[in-house]
Amino acid sequence: MSETMLIIKREFRSRVQSKMFVVGTIIFPVFLVALLLISGSSDGGKHLRVAVVDQAPSTVGERFIQLLSVPRADSEGNTYTVDRIAAPLEGVRDSLNRLVAQKALDAYIVLPSNILEGDSVLYRARSIPGAQIRTEVRQAASRAVQGERLEAAGLRAEQVAALVQPVSLSSTRVTAQGEQGGTDASVFIFAYVVAFLIYFMTLFYGISVLRSVLEEKTNRISELMVSSVNAQSLMIGKVIGGGSAAILQVAIWAAFVAIAATQSSFLTQRFGISAQALQVLHIAPATGGLFLLYFILGFFLFAAVFAAMGAAVTSEQEAQSLQMAAILPLIIPLMLIGSIATDPLGTKATVLGLVPFTSPIAMPMRIAAAAIPPAQIALSVVLLALSVVAVSWVAGKIYRVGILSTGKRPSFQELMRWIRTA
Amino acid sequence: MTDAIRIDDISKRYAGHVAVDRLSLAVPAGTIYGILGPNGAGKSTTLRMIMNIIGRDSGSISMLGADPAADRKVLRRVGYLPEERGLYKKMKVLDVIVFFAALKGVPEAQGRTQGREWLERMGLSEWENARVETLSKGMQQKVQFITTILHRPDLLILDEPASGLDPVNQEVLRDTILGARSEGRTVLFSTHNMDQAEQLCEHVCIIAEGRKVLDGNLREVKRSHMGNRYEVEFERESPAIQEQLRPGNGTFTTVTALRDGTAFELELSRGADTHTVLGVLSRIDVPILRFARVQPSLHEIFVQRVTGAVTPHRRPEEAHV
Repeated sequence: MSETMLIIKREFRSRVQSKMFVVGTIIFPVFLVALLLISGSSDGGKHLRVAVVDQAPSTVGERFIQLLSVPRADSEGNTYTVDRIAAPLEGVRDSLNRLVAQKALDAYIVLPSNILEGDSVLYRARSIPGAQIRTEVRQAASRAVQGERLEAAGLRAEQVAALVQPVSLSSTRVTAQGEQGGTDASVFIFAYVVAFLIYFMTLFYGISVLRSVLEEKTNRISELMVSSVNAQSLMIGKVIGGGSAAILQVAIWAAFVAIAATQSSFLTQRFGISAQALQVLHIAPATGGLFLLYFILGFFLFAAVFAAMGAAVTSEQEAQSLQMAAILPLIIPLMLIGSIATDPLGTKATVLGLVPFTSPIAMPMRIAAAAIPPAQIALSVVLLALSVVAVSWVAGKIYRVGILSTGKRPSFQELMRWIRTA
Repeated sequence: MTDAIRIDDISKRYAGHVAVDRLSLAVPAGTIYGILGPNGAGKSTTLRMIMNIIGRDSGSISMLGADPAADRKVLRRVGYLPEERGLYKKMKVLDVIVFFAALKGVPEAQGRTQGREWLERMGLSEWENARVETLSKGMQQKVQFITTILHRPDLLILDEPASGLDPVNQEVLRDTILGARSEGRTVLFSTHNMDQAEQLCEHVCIIAEGRKVLDGNLREVKRSHMGNRYEVEFERESPAIQEQLRPGNGTFTTVTALRDGTAFELELSRGADTHTVLGVLSRIDVPILRFARVQPSLHEIFVQRVTGAVTPHRRPEEAHV
């Protein structure tokens, strides 16, 4: 077996056999499923007791109460039991507040007297309403007001009902393969999960490369190692060994996801995740391959930097302050995830997808969210690969000198000399 | 006799100072060879250059017939113990041994079998599945020896092997070195401990400030540094002794009484020799128990040749091992 293979095997084993690996492998899918459940379920499906303080003119109040009380066909819809209060708000506010606080009421809604002129409907509850309740209350109020206005303009009640029927919005991504599945929320979450996963794995396993280099240095193993193996093979072995442990872990998770994808109907019934949301789990092989490619290249890039850092520092404390500088380019696309995932074809997303240190995260995020022109992907991959070569070359020089030097941390000038002389 | 190592005119410069300056030496195959010198003399730098751990600025190196800078494979036939040494603390003892042996080309199964044999020989059998970090420092040192020698290297290069060893492990080290020698292996080691070198080495090379001071067969080195000092011991005290052994009578420059006045160290004046001394002693009618020419110790030769460089630098914890 070649020396490099032996190093890879040792590095791989030391990670895979650790407790952290087993725990991490189990915890992440749990986290992922929890995230999907939270996103898949809404605040709907509940029964609410509300009071309506009706100060609105004419029949607005009655229409509102009737519209709100109607049971909704949608499984995410809420049902409402409504008590109408005709007294002015000032007289009943205290007692209503008390009832809400005591949980005898879930909320009270105030229809103001000049609601037809545009005054806001008030909603008072123990917490700010979720999107579902907000939509239902607003729709009921709008339709009641619109109905009242239309009738005042001379239309009959039946005509009004048909005219104010609300429209719903259904959005889907369009790619070269046609329409692709996934709800708005699930596509966003998918992009987020892919980005977070690459970020987390690059960071976690990249820093484990740093630790492993530092361990050999502080435990005085480096010199023994380079008496058998050249420094370059040692560094390559460490990077690949760490990377393959990360890939094994991702492969285990991918298997979980593949199994989950085949169990869509079960998940839909048991947890109420919509089948459309689960569509996102059916990842095309080409897309999955691209994610893997970006992860591998990104990992090599950062692991090489971390290996050089491990060789240049003399303790964990010193390493930590340096780590921040390396992590920063990884954090930028994560912080801008909102604008990348919602506008994956915009300028900001395009630039971040091409710059080598941010592309390993930004590009998969874009690919998850939209159809990216193949030429852009190719350019981004080439730039990234070239950076891997250049960064590894410099890192290798620092590594070679660094692992054998003890004592104080080198100054910037000394680092430059290492790069020149190694 | 062929040379296991031959280095010619090698130099290593660092920013600001010369670590090794045009050093040449030859290590005959099958011998124990000591590189001696005070701290900072360039011993470790020399050994690291031989192992190609650091590059040399000039000169040539041949180790077991190859230059390790050009042919890394030759390193598999070498067992190297650096001065700074350690093991993977989280690995199991036997796994560490098998791993380092595999790096030297020993197949895993063979490494496992031989590793067990070595652990047994070192009395560590029950520790083979323990993590290295749970072993005492002394036990870790033994494991370190095993990793150095398990692959049956033709050449052992040991950098300050005794540093930090307890007396028991110094014995283990000594046995390991002598055992390797009797199996026909070559041992090159560096030390600043002259007593140890004197016990083990057949050949020595003394370096100071990166330059060779002297080298050669230890016996010959000692012979060429043979002084003009003698030791004599009488059966009992006698006034005749005091009378004859007096400095300044043309034979002796100094006479030092050793012990209780029956033994003396005599330093001869220029022109006097063994026969002159015997002539003087024949005039003393007290039986002589012992008469010998004093062999200089390696330590004395070292101090004499490396004036001023050794004493202030000696590490106290290692000075008397």
